[in-house]
Amino acid sequence: MIPEAPPDRVDDAELIQRSRRDPEAFADLFDRHASALHRYVARRLGASLADDVVSDTFLAAFRKRERYDPAQPDARPWLYGIAANLIGRHRRTEIRFYRALVRTGVDEVAEPYADRVNQRVSAQSAQRGLAKALAGLSAGDRDVLLLVAWADLTYEEVARALDIPVGTVRSRLHRARAKTRAALGGDDPSATSEEPLHG
Amino acid sequence: MDDLRLLREMRAEVPDPGPEWLVPARARLLRRVRAWHLPRFGRRLLLAGALGGAASVVIATRPHEPGGVVRPATVRLDSATVLRQAAEVAESRPRRAVPRPDQWHYTRTLDKQANDDSGTTQEGWIRYDGKQTAGYGEDGRMHVSDVPPDPGDDDLSPQQYDAKLRRLPTDPDDLLAHVSGDRHWIDLPVEEGVKKNVEPPDARAFRVIFLYLERHVVMPPKLEGAMFRALMRIPHVVVDKDVADAAGRRGLGIRFDWGADPGTLSYHILDPRTYRYLGSRMVWVRDEYVEGDSTPAFRAGSVWATALLASGIVDRPGRRL
Repeated sequence: MIPEAPPDRVDDAELIQRSRRDPEAFADLFDRHASALHRYVARRLGASLADDVVSDTFLAAFRKRERYDPAQPDARPWLYGIAANLIGRHRRTEIRFYRALVRTGVDEVAEPYADRVNQRVSAQSAQRGLAKALAGLSAGDRDVLLLVAWADLTYEEVARALDIPVGTVRSRLHRARAKTRAALGGDDPSATSEEPLHG
Repeated sequence: MDDLRLLREMRAEVPDPGPEWLVPARARLLRRVRAWHLPRFGRRLLLAGALGGAASVVIATRPHEPGGVVRPATVRLDSATVLRQAAEVAESRPRRAVPRPDQWHYTRTLDKQANDDSGTTQEGWIRYDGKQTAGYGEDGRMHVSDVPPDPGDDDLSPQQYDAKLRRLPTDPDDLLAHVSGDRHWIDLPVEEGVKKNVEPPDARAFRVIFLYLERHVVMPPKLEGAMFRALMRIPHVVVDKDVADAAGRRGLGIRFDWGADPGTLSYHILDPRTYRYLGSRMVWVRDEYVEGDSTPAFRAGSVWATALLASGIVDRPGRRL
């Protein structure tokens, strides 16, 4: 309604703080994070469920905004944590997509965009192995693995998102990656040591 | 073999959402947060039906947890007696002049959220014809902005509200039939991709009548009387004594009783002598959880109250009552 004066960048905590008085400031948080969050959720559940999950995430976040920790300048862990709970409601759908990919070799989630990249033959078998692993992981392990691999969160950010200790993030990731490697066929125990995240 | 690298490539072709989702989703979020909060007083009431649907997606209550229930002590009044008295007082009010389109509707409100002790006072001006709004920005200066048309919105300009009121029947039964079945309050707001809540006609009549009582600028006295008489005819309307608004003013708390086990009690509050609208009060009866959280977002006994501190016509934005 009232035009905001200066466009200088404030951090997410400041925006959320501002939204307590001026709820419209919350739309700026949407502008910053909705796209990436949507893509992350769409990779897990498909685009149409992602539409709902992301909308509900921001509404739930708005309702909880008074409990946001103002010491955290980046709201991504908070938002991805809320989304993780909502994604969890669709666990069967998520797993059904992975299983269908294992069974048929066709990924219903990625299929609509198939013409966007060159299909690599070598990726095909890897996809099925990954899908097999993802379908077999516990929900907590899968959340950690995909927040790292698809949402690019650091260990600390994943810990904040899921409200678990960083040590638990490490051990879940370790376990999830061991299973993934096994499903990919290269069952090399020495390879399960920790790797740099963005290497 | 780099499992993480392979995993990062998996479904990498899934793109960011396009504007065909982002634009309406942003608009919908704004509509919902405005409804939840209130830049213009009472906005959330308009969307109560739509919001109920949205909120129920993420809100879960845990009814069996010990200690999570607080039932406020209230003194219930005979609703028919109170509402008849209200109707008689309303019918004796003087008629008021219709404002010019270039005059402004000024409102000052106090909003006290459940986790906020001090509350937030907001004031704003909207042109009577709804074409502009005005308010003081954080820089202390007056900003006037144009209101873009939003055909999917259910909210009306002050002028449109008043025009609607002038067309309403003043026979209580006809009025009740009208507010129960008015397509405007059934079909709007349009929220693409959101399933509409089916609101019981009684609940809708209650909601719409209080919307009019709260947001009108010029209310014909006979019509206001008919509104109270129509409320008498709605089942499940409860009147409690001494319910306080956000400013601590005590009045008659009127609510629609949803039945055995409501999570919250939502009151509209009327002045006990003039029967004018004072504000609202929502009391959590049970702890309310946002799904997945182990601590409640709202504890039983939490209160969210509002107060309409001023509402009336002025000649220029910046003028107060």
